[in-house]
Amino acid sequence: MSKIKERVLRAQDDECKTSHRDKQRVSVVTNATRKSGKPGVTDVKGAVGSVLLTPPDSEAVRRKLESQKGVLGKSSGKIEFIFYKILLCVLYMLYACARYTQYHYNRAKILILNLAYSPSNTPQLIRQDVLKLQKLPKRLAAIVEKKREGDVGGGVSGVLNDGSDLVAWTISAGIKHLALYDFDGHLKRNVDEFRKSVFHKLTKYYDPSNVPKFAIRIPQWNKVYFNAPGQEADDTTSKKVAIEISLLSNRDGRETIIELTRTMADLCAQNEMQLSDITMKLIDSELTQLVGHEPDLLLYFGPNLDLQGFPPWHIRLTEFYWEQDNDQVTYSVFIRGLKKYAACKINVGK
Amino acid sequence: MTESSSFPGASQVLTLCKNIFSRIIKASDNVPQHVGLIMDGNRRWAKLKHVEIKEGHNAGFHSMSRALELCYEAGVSTATVFAFSIENFKRSSAEVDSLMNLARSGIKQVVQNGEMAQKFGIKINVIGDRKLLPDDVLREVEAAETITKDNKRAVLNICFPYTGRDELLHSIKEVVQATQLGDLASSDINEAAIDRHLYTGGSPPVDLLIRTSGVTRLSDFLIWQVSRRDVVIEFLDCLWPDFGSRQMAWILLKFAFSKSYATGETDPEDYDVEARGSPLKKHV
Repeated sequence: MSKIKERVLRAQDDECKTSHRDKQRVSVVTNATRKSGKPGVTDVKGAVGSVLLTPPDSEAVRRKLESQKGVLGKSSGKIEFIFYKILLCVLYMLYACARYTQYHYNRAKILILNLAYSPSNTPQLIRQDVLKLQKLPKRLAAIVEKKREGDVGGGVSGVLNDGSDLVAWTISAGIKHLALYDFDGHLKRNVDEFRKSVFHKLTKYYDPSNVPKFAIRIPQWNKVYFNAPGQEADDTTSKKVAIEISLLSNRDGRETIIELTRTMADLCAQNEMQLSDITMKLIDSELTQLVGHEPDLLLYFGPNLDLQGFPPWHIRLTEFYWEQDNDQVTYSVFIRGLKKYAACKINVGK
Repeated sequence: MTESSSFPGASQVLTLCKNIFSRIIKASDNVPQHVGLIMDGNRRWAKLKHVEIKEGHNAGFHSMSRALELCYEAGVSTATVFAFSIENFKRSSAEVDSLMNLARSGIKQVVQNGEMAQKFGIKINVIGDRKLLPDDVLREVEAAETITKDNKRAVLNICFPYTGRDELLHSIKEVVQATQLGDLASSDINEAAIDRHLYTGGSPPVDLLIRTSGVTRLSDFLIWQVSRRDVVIEFLDCLWPDFGSRQMAWILLKFAFSKSYATGETDPEDYDVEARGSPLKKHV
């Protein structure tokens, strides 16, 4: 069914051309930086304020409250409502206190771990950490996020830097496939800079004369790039690479599945395909071609796990790893994720 | 919050506490609308306690009732529980049989004398590839659905037997079929169309997923629904039979707090920094 793939890719290409305004689209959602949920006093004040001052929007609450009108009529419902709101504030404050302690405990833990695990730009150290592990994931995926422009490691350059760090660690660990996901596709839009950034990072880890070769694949546009710009592989022998990196974005998730459905619907309308031809195997092989293979381990570097539209078909048995209240792409999260993966056992159904 | 407390009147006090708590959470107006539950760890619990696996599943069933009771009281409108995966048919036939028995009696219990169905007006839906169910179980399931079909307040989706990929495949096929029948133009195929044709089509979007027993995988449960942005995913270390009202209450409180906090934070000025190119000014 190579016809399907062709069509989907063509459709995506067209979409890509027409979606230039997308690029201008302010990345509203990305910038809503997930604050690590640090519950300071002002936050509690904010939360409590919004609780007390905003009337309940939901129809259900209102109905419920109305239905609870007792002998005293409407006013008793109101009193009861205020009573619960006050109790809610008390609960929120208690929760905030507990959360505050938890947050600082977690941050301290992360700090110590970051000190304990430091790659210090040497692949040998990473190799040593990895050799202790029983098994390694064949395919690794990571979700990176763009931080606020003004923050340390923020903006697009921050994403590029985080991505190339991950590439360097993955190569050093000896994992051959890495998928990098970022919601808005900053990495794939800036692929040339990313290639430069990866190359630059690798020269820090390896001897400049012996930098590992890498290939960057962008499934959405069906393109493959080799090495840094200006060092493209010319013959087949130099196409042997140490790592294959796929760059994914929100479009490779749901939208690709929708595109695939649309293509199959068209093919069915033209009688080139039957409804009974649509099977689990067909969809799986198409999505593998269009997006890639299912990763074994997915690393997330935010404070609370949020899959952010990662391709849904590809997270069936994927192991997730994230560190609570962490908000940085660090080696300690990377290596601890690998450790967790080595310790877990997957048994489908049993 | 176990019922093992021996003080007289303790259980009444507990029920009262639970009721007050759920009212409070309800007043926050930030209650998840659709909760997904992966009830993992029943067998490990049984092994730890040296009882039969059947007992473990039974304990798990009670644990589910406790958790759901609190959810529905607090205003959750839909819950989807992962009862049985298509892959579970690989287990020993004795265990599959006992699970089927449990499901049959469990569904019966919920429908006939379980206060839950009446008290909350729960509508039961059994979703998944029902062709794979044995006839007697299927009959029970259909009976339960007809009895509860007029209940409006809350919905309980029981995934039995289910996998997320199967659900997605099912939805894709239905969408393609709809275009063939002319009900849907192929240019109108979008996320909403796929959503509508999922087994969970009529329910609000999933906004909270809970999995117990320390496993951090989805295991093919609600993959399409949960991979969205801003879906809260909670992985807990305790085994499912040990999961009680206390853990559920904590999760609901956490959810409500983070959502009210988030609405307090969403100030438009935060967002269009890039568009204006002005330096970011952190507002307090």
